[in-house]
Amino acid sequence: MFPTGHRQKVREVVIVAAAFVVSLFLLRQSARSPEYLSPLDRGILTLVSPVQSAFATLARSLGRFAGRYVDLVHVRAENEGLRIENGRLRSELLQAKRDAAESVRYQHLLGLRDAVTAETLVARVIAIDVSPYFRVARIQLDRGEGLVQRGMPVITSEGVVGRINRTSGETSDILLAVDPRSAIDVVLPRTGGRGILKGKPGENGYRCAIEYLMQGEQARDGDVVATSGLGGFPRDLPVGRVSKLVKNSAGLTQDIEVTPDVDFGRLSEVLVVVAPPPSADPEAGKKPLQSSHGLTVYR
Amino acid sequence: MRSLATLVVGLLLLLLQSTVMEFAPVHLVTPSLGLLMVVYVGMAPLKWTPSSAALVGFCMGYLFDLVSGAPRGVHAFVFLAMALTARAVAWRLAVRGLVLKAATAFVASLVAAFLIVVVRAQISPETGYGGLRQAPLEGLLTAALGPPVLWLLARLDGRLDPALLRVGLARRRARALGQGMPQR
Repeated sequence: MFPTGHRQKVREVVIVAAAFVVSLFLLRQSARSPEYLSPLDRGILTLVSPVQSAFATLARSLGRFAGRYVDLVHVRAENEGLRIENGRLRSELLQAKRDAAESVRYQHLLGLRDAVTAETLVARVIAIDVSPYFRVARIQLDRGEGLVQRGMPVITSEGVVGRINRTSGETSDILLAVDPRSAIDVVLPRTGGRGILKGKPGENGYRCAIEYLMQGEQARDGDVVATSGLGGFPRDLPVGRVSKLVKNSAGLTQDIEVTPDVDFGRLSEVLVVVAPPPSADPEAGKKPLQSSHGLTVYR
Repeated sequence: MRSLATLVVGLLLLLLQSTVMEFAPVHLVTPSLGLLMVVYVGMAPLKWTPSSAALVGFCMGYLFDLVSGAPRGVHAFVFLAMALTARAVAWRLAVRGLVLKAATAFVASLVAAFLIVVVRAQISPETGYGGLRQAPLEGLLTAALGPPVLWLLARLDGRLDPALLRVGLARRRARALGQGMPQR
């Protein structure tokens, strides 16, 4: 039998080593199947997601309150006599503007929903870019739980957001188009040239790049970039604009930096495309599955 | 009990981190609040055994992976390594005062960022080693919040200290029996 001190040391070493082994096992599993979530993960997410959603709602309300407070302070400095009246009117106006903006946003979303022939679900963004090294947003669905699957496109009225990376209950993680792991088939409508849009690693801003675009396509600064219709995204959805060209003299391709149209920092509502548009490219609906809800979904 | 309470506080910090973007003027980098918890546990070697520090580091990282949507295991591995590194450093360096605490948070954030990028590159080679340009800004934000968060964690940890809890319990029992107990 070990002396108590020695036994304690062995116990400590075993626990630390076990923690390392488990974390390495998790890493290996992530590399093999990034979408996999164990029952324990799902359980934790089920417990955490409502709290996370409540935190997001609280944070937004506090943000609005802080905005109103800042406005009031500003008005007081301008004119003490008109402070109360002016502050009230300004905060009301601000609130009205926010309501109007929200209404417009919803209208755009509804308009997009009508315009996009694909079957879509509305979702609320509850967290985004928690880690700066992984461009991921978390969304919560009001309805349609169980319909969302890995790889489904996510869009807004401004353009392409990304793809579903993993799901758990009513929450799902979106791999944003600006993440280096993301790959979206895009087209330059001006030239018809096609390439793959990937996120740029190491960027302080939200930037992407089009890879594998042929030199002959001759992209220009400011060119519009849109979805090609392949890979499940509805055709001709705006993605962004060309902001920088890097020509590869040795090869046939050129790398093109793209500034996305979507302001990822301000995402609040998104649409998840749960079924490809009927007129889309045949590859878009390559593996259709009939869901229990009567919607056609794909992996 | 103390480890569980620490994890709950850590989870709240992580959730706060996940919503802090709502206030941030620059919507790109958030301070690493979860890391501060790990650093605190690692830097208190007299209160936390290596195994409990390692477990808190691992669990915090694991929760962070789930909350942030990062590949599972990345932060679990990095936070575990950070907890043990902080522990090794704590025997040689007494972190006292605002400046030293902020500097520690800054350095810890940089080291963690480096490790995250390296581990990320191993499991998703297509991401490469990019992303470190954001590390200084993230480090500065973490350093700014480091002293108050570390102070708060020390206060909470002090209240949850098993020795103090035992004293408090004994005092309460004595009071209930009408015997009283001399103040410490």
